[in-house]
Amino acid sequence: MESSSSSERQRPLSPNIQLYRPQLTSVLSILNRLTGLLLSVAAVAIVIWLLAAAAGPQAYTVVQTALASRTGQVILIGCTFAFFLHFFGGIRHLVWDTVHGFELRAIYISGWSVVAASIVMTAIAWVASFYIRG
Amino acid sequence: MIIKSSSQVSRNNLFKRFPIPANLGVTKESRIGKGKSWPAPAGAKRTKTFEIYRYDPDSGRGPHLDTYEVDLDDCGPMVLDALIWIKNKVDSTLTFRRSCREGVCGSCAMNMDGTNWLACTRFISDMESPAGIYPLANMQIIKDLVPDQTHVFAQYAVIEPWLQARTSPPDRERRQSAEERSQIDGYYECILCFCCTSGCPSHWWNGNRFLGPAVLLQAWRWLTDSRDEATEERLDKLEDPFRLYRCHTILNCTRTCPKGLNPGKAIAQIKKMMIDRQN
Amino acid sequence: MECDNMRTPLSRAIGLGSAHNGVQHWWAQRVSAIALVPLTVWFVAAIIVHTGADYATFVAWMRNPITDILMTLLLIALFYHVALGLQVIVEDYVHSDTKFAVMIAVRLACFALAVAGIVATLRIAVAS
Repeated sequence: MESSSSSERQRPLSPNIQLYRPQLTSVLSILNRLTGLLLSVAAVAIVIWLLAAAAGPQAYTVVQTALASRTGQVILIGCTFAFFLHFFGGIRHLVWDTVHGFELRAIYISGWSVVAASIVMTAIAWVASFYIRG
Repeated sequence: MIIKSSSQVSRNNLFKRFPIPANLGVTKESRIGKGKSWPAPAGAKRTKTFEIYRYDPDSGRGPHLDTYEVDLDDCGPMVLDALIWIKNKVDSTLTFRRSCREGVCGSCAMNMDGTNWLACTRFISDMESPAGIYPLANMQIIKDLVPDQTHVFAQYAVIEPWLQARTSPPDRERRQSAEERSQIDGYYECILCFCCTSGCPSHWWNGNRFLGPAVLLQAWRWLTDSRDEATEERLDKLEDPFRLYRCHTILNCTRTCPKGLNPGKAIAQIKKMMIDRQN
Repeated sequence: MECDNMRTPLSRAIGLGSAHNGVQHWWAQRVSAIALVPLTVWFVAAIIVHTGADYATFVAWMRNPITDILMTLLLIALFYHVALGLQVIVEDYVHSDTKFAVMIAVRLACFALAVAGIVATLRIAVAS
């Protein structure tokens, strides 16, 4: 084998996301991004909902019926959970921006708190919603 | 569940890899093929299986995974001891960097069971079975476990990691109070092993322009050193959507630092300094 | 750069040099986030409280000037935050020249959606 073979051949890149272990740090971070993306779509949906309401009661009823359907409700529960994850995750980010909470213990406690708070608040939101509906 | 120190090994067994296709975005020459299985040593009572990433640039083959059985009664307690045992007793072609064997030089930084750490301070008993030994993530590989660190060291040079002062040097030391000196504590101790940078997803996707946690921690070390007079120029050079602001506080860096340092916090302090000089 | 083979590593690391900006984007993202904390809480609470409400109740709620103000503020802060966030995502993952087209499209779409939402809100509020 020619000694120049290693310079002709491209060096392999060691595995990154295919190998690196998911940890609370990276998982919560990507969840913050994914929920943000989902909520961007939800933001568009809110504008559509407002436009439907502005168009009149018929258009509004179409949208409301879609939201009240089984699929619509599942999507709304998902959106609520995504919202709370992004909301509490965002607050965690804002705290970091004040240069607080960077010790590993604090990172992990705040991280699990975000997950717990999101689950609890989603449950409260939906229980309250069912209660108000009657 | 609650990690207090980066030396605690990641224990989650739920998912050890992100749920993505194994070869997502992997170029042809980076694909890891099946390798050789080396026989267990005769008469060994306690053995552990190690799967090690191998790549020989002269072989014409791509990278592959070789499997070794290490006699635990014949080698020291650390992963580096196992690698040296393999090189001495089984396969002398196994290539890796090493020097101090006590966690202060940074040579043996590598990815073990999915996280970056120093091989000389990682206990074999903390490893899974089989133990997975790979080079530092997202690095061009020269051979086996030896990554090409040219680019990350070039990024280090970009931040000009030396004292810059126009004031002519005094007769003796440039003075600083004990409190001022304590400002670089937690930053000067970096051994430039690049475990953090290699574990940063932002550096994976934008490593050509994003400086990465190791370099930015050193940038902070110079920003906060009271003897340095180039703070303005340093901040000017850092203020860039890619050089500094690709950091999204993912914090894999702080989680993986084998010296217990906090690059995430250092970067937050740089961002705070950026805001302070605006308002 | 396509033909990078002969550049020194330092030259490649320096690239095109520092852009000398980035703080404003970072600051605006944080300010819009802080604004969104109370605004989204209000919005989600209002949605829950009005579960199952009919069109007339909804319109009455939208006629309330407080609702109009908060809804307008929400739409502005929300789409500003969305535009900034999506810009970061595009910068992270899109590296070809397509990124310019995508970023322009995202920015314009966010502006248009915010305007559409505000106009819809005001139309419901002043409709007779």
